Amino acid sequence: MEGAATIHSIRPSQQHRFRPAVVSSCIRELVREQLGGESYDSERSAETAQTLSKRITDRLKELGLDRYKLVVQVVIGEQRGEGVQMASRCFWDADTDSCAKDVYMNDSLFCVAAVFGIYHY
Amino acid sequence: MEDYQTGEETAFVVDEVSTIVKEAVEGAIGENSYQQSRVKQWTNNVVEQCLSQLNKLGKPFKYIVTCIIMQKNGAGLQTACSCFWDNTTDGSCTVRWENKSMYCIVSVFGLAI
Repeated sequence: MEGAATIHSIRPSQQHRFRPAVVSSCIRELVREQLGGESYDSERSAETAQTLSKRITDRLKELGLDRYKLVVQVVIGEQRGEGVQMASRCFWDADTDSCAKDVYMNDSLFCVAAVFGIYHY
Repeated sequence: MEDYQTGEETAFVVDEVSTIVKEAVEGAIGENSYQQSRVKQWTNNVVEQCLSQLNKLGKPFKYIVTCIIMQKNGAGLQTACSCFWDNTTDGSCTVRWENKSMYCIVSVFGLAI
């Protein structure tokens, strides 16, 4: 009797690992595509942030990160000379989990997109 | 051997997390005015305090805490997030806090192991 044994792995293989550089360039491309040349508008920017985060999530699903749970956070702010500071800390498994981010700025707005990939055992 | 069931003790409770975050922000910033030289320290303090309190809850979760502090000068800010996870076990909580000179937005994401 033949059967293929499926092994449930609790560590990702090299191919299916969350690679920050790859994810970062992917976010970069999407952010510039959506926001290039746009100006901050309080009504539209809320929707833009939501759409952008959804698009990033969808694109990342295509990268083959099957066992990863994804959290995508997009922040869009108006450029008016104010000071802004953003920080994050995570409690996770440093071997399998990671994050990637990208910052975009033009004359009227700034945008920070952060993606966290958490491996699901 | 103990059976790990998804029950009340192991769910992501938004109210509990929200209280933790508010206390952390009050403790770290309180009534201080925005200062460029101190804001980095404040954001770090807020996230570290939140994370250590969350870990004390002893739940089987991985946590992500982000904090944004913005000076009040009339500018607008929008945040959005999109998550690909298990809706039955994972959750998030966002707290908006402000004082006379700045806004603080803290987001906590809890992902079940």
